[in-house]
Amino acid sequence: MLEFKYSNVEREIEVYGFDYAVKSHCRMCHGGCGVFVYVKDGKIAKIAGDPDCPINHGTLCSKGLASAQLVYHPDRLTYPVKRIGHKGSGKWERISWDEAIDAIAERILDYKDKYGAESIVFGYGTGRENEAVIYRIANLLGSPNVLTAGHFCYGPRISSSIITMGTNPIIEYEGFPKCIMMWGNNVTISNPDCYKGEPFSVALDAGAKLIVVDPRFTKPASRANIWLQLRPGTDPALAYGILNVIVNEGLYDKDFVENHVYGWEPFVKRVNEYTLERVEEITWVPKEKIREAARLFATSKPAVIQWGVAIEQQINCVDNDRLLMFIMGLTGNIDAEGGQVLYRTPPIVNVGQFGAHAMLPREQAQKRLGGDRFRLASRFAIITPKVVWDAILDEKPYPVKMLFFISSNPLMTRANAKEVYRALEKVDFMAVSDFFITPTAELADIVLPAATWLEMDYIGDFWKRHGYILPRRKVVQIGECLSDHEMLNRLGKKIGQEQFWWDTFEGGLDFILQPMGIKWNDFNQMDYVRGPVRHFKYRKYGFSTPTRKFELCSTILEKMGYDPLPQHREVPESPVSAPELYKEYPYILITGARQPGFFHTENRQLPWLRSLHRDPIVQIHPDAAANEGIKEGDWVVIESPRGKVRQRAQFFAGMDKRIVSAQHAWWFPEKKDPGHGWAESNINILTDNAYEGCDPTFGATNIRTLLCKIYPEKKEAAHE
Amino acid sequence: MNKYTLKVDENSCWGCKSCEVACKQEHNTPNDVKFIYVSEDGPKYVNGKLDFTYRINMCKHCDDPPCASICPAEAIKKRDDGIVILNEDECNGCGSCIEVCPYNAISFDEEKGVARKCNLCYFRIDNGLYPACADNVCLAHCIYFGETDKIDQVIKEKPWLQRRVEQAMMERARQTKEED
Repeated sequence: MLEFKYSNVEREIEVYGFDYAVKSHCRMCHGGCGVFVYVKDGKIAKIAGDPDCPINHGTLCSKGLASAQLVYHPDRLTYPVKRIGHKGSGKWERISWDEAIDAIAERILDYKDKYGAESIVFGYGTGRENEAVIYRIANLLGSPNVLTAGHFCYGPRISSSIITMGTNPIIEYEGFPKCIMMWGNNVTISNPDCYKGEPFSVALDAGAKLIVVDPRFTKPASRANIWLQLRPGTDPALAYGILNVIVNEGLYDKDFVENHVYGWEPFVKRVNEYTLERVEEITWVPKEKIREAARLFATSKPAVIQWGVAIEQQINCVDNDRLLMFIMGLTGNIDAEGGQVLYRTPPIVNVGQFGAHAMLPREQAQKRLGGDRFRLASRFAIITPKVVWDAILDEKPYPVKMLFFISSNPLMTRANAKEVYRALEKVDFMAVSDFFITPTAELADIVLPAATWLEMDYIGDFWKRHGYILPRRKVVQIGECLSDHEMLNRLGKKIGQEQFWWDTFEGGLDFILQPMGIKWNDFNQMDYVRGPVRHFKYRKYGFSTPTRKFELCSTILEKMGYDPLPQHREVPESPVSAPELYKEYPYILITGARQPGFFHTENRQLPWLRSLHRDPIVQIHPDAAANEGIKEGDWVVIESPRGKVRQRAQFFAGMDKRIVSAQHAWWFPEKKDPGHGWAESNINILTDNAYEGCDPTFGATNIRTLLCKIYPEKKEAAHE
Repeated sequence: MNKYTLKVDENSCWGCKSCEVACKQEHNTPNDVKFIYVSEDGPKYVNGKLDFTYRINMCKHCDDPPCASICPAEAIKKRDDGIVILNEDECNGCGSCIEVCPYNAISFDEEKGVARKCNLCYFRIDNGLYPACADNVCLAHCIYFGETDKIDQVIKEKPWLQRRVEQAMMERARQTKEED
């Protein structure tokens, strides 16, 4: 037999006649996977995983593998454009970078002069690792308003972990946990910050027990020892049920509780309010199963919780995060080997320092939109989207005149999309930086051509909490595309921030690395750098919180005037909270189950990835479908009090028949009219963003669980 | 007896479909032509218990391939190493192989007007490279390629898992030394 070797770079180059391979670091999702990019005649010819990368061990997902289709897509915007027709007319004219940057700079200075820097809102979505530069330019300008996904994605995990234990606890999969509780997550097809599916899969194959908490019977649920099939949105009650067992059966880590927690007694009192009987009634999960799961988790050492964004896009966002952290902490798994480690990054200028938060004048910070209501979010420089739409539409508490969205498509991804549309339509001036003219960009005044991860040098994972940084290396230049970092580096110098930016953004990379005593050119020669890995640091230093303890009762929340202990709030639209509405909208709609290949609104124009999913899919239980006269594959209408959209029905027997599960972020790049079908299947037409339904401390919009009706499209046609 | 076999441990598949795209990257087939295809089997009740498995469909490189027997153009041949190759240049586009394949593993490429299927990346194999989908793409490490008579044993033993565990233990030992 021939000698076969995985990921055989030399042989690939020889056999296919590639010119060379560049070692780099993918960013088709939140990033993290080491790759080899093969180049032939100056073009990317193949992308493969890097077997020596400790994050992905050579494996690579569909998105990474299809990156070259993004780079060379015929629809890509490759030069700056300005709109010459009315908003949404789809009429654009090519302009130069200098014209584009000058025009944006002029607007910024003009609005700042007339309405204050707070009238200019910068924004990003899941980001292109551009969060540090975007906050930097906004803070230096004096705008406290940066609109990100952070109000309901990762921001809550970071903020709530900082107030509880100092930083975000990351699973040490290489320590082979004995039990994994996967909570509202499926890391094998999704991309939760700081995690990849491969180490989870390996840990499971190596013998870890698995508990899955999910309303849907996912593939991981099929391999689980215990599946907790909860009613959507009842996560805090379930977590309290588990904690109740851990506390009352004495399964907690006694030393940890005795020496390292703050607020034990009030916490126990609160725990005891959540009896298993009550929890079963709230969550639909039988109490025996809760007990069984709690015992398995608490008696397996080490044990970890694999979490993600689903628990954050709810009214209980921060309390969900905190309760899961309490389970990690009380079972002794925080900072344990093979548990959830409080990693340290290498000594670099970190994302907060680079973001220049300290440079924002206090009087400007006090103007942060929604800051009086969502005080925890505001402390972490995060705002909820509705405050921006309100400030545009009603000019309250002051007018927002300009939006600058960089890697963001809020028309598709933010709740109450019709309101988003009205705001984007009305705003005085909007600039967008993206790969394509997306439905959001169609409403802009200027659109800038953004570089993909294959077109920039960068310090990958610079903002993450797993402790690695890895070089991302520029492989090709496409048209006039610029990285967001370079673009803002140019813009910053035009709006009076000359001293804080560099000749080119390579200077910014040198600045980040300065504390390590190296420059980008040195880092560029390295594979990766990881901060020192140490366990149980709290035993020596305590936790980095006001009490130096792991805070069950949050002193910070208490000071802000919130309940210091987590609680279960019923989602605004549920059979329990809205029984009258439930009669008219008799299904619980859950949204946003992940599809491999797509990253929110991205990648639907890449043929290799679109071939995985042609149409938007809504899953319905076969019995419910029979009741509604829906056949598999039918186009159906999903309707909430806010509006209705169409998706195709797929039967799914692995969930309660009272639930339907719809996909998110669908638009149709193949539709060449300027709307690109943004409103046809966009589930955020149905979701709500009312302040009362948002997380009270953080402003997370409750987009994952609401009420709907569902019926065949042809029935609707017959009515009309 | 086949010399080489590609086999997927379906119980371990997470349904991420990276194999489909790795194949696309290698062969750049049109949208509806898939040499490897992942589909959902379930969730459904099996013996009173919910079950959910991903099925991976591709050419099985049959011992006695009916597609080769029926092809009037003799465009499909089984090599000595077991790989069944459909030579697109010799295909007349009659589609009889598609009809006769019991695994639904052959597609018609409308652009080229020929039948196409997985040829097990024989160009790669002949040059000592793993087939594209089996070249350490899969996060579940569930796509196996190797000598036919050993492959079931390899799937059972999961040698990659042992390597990964050892690697992690070495890394931990290095860190512990640092920690002390």
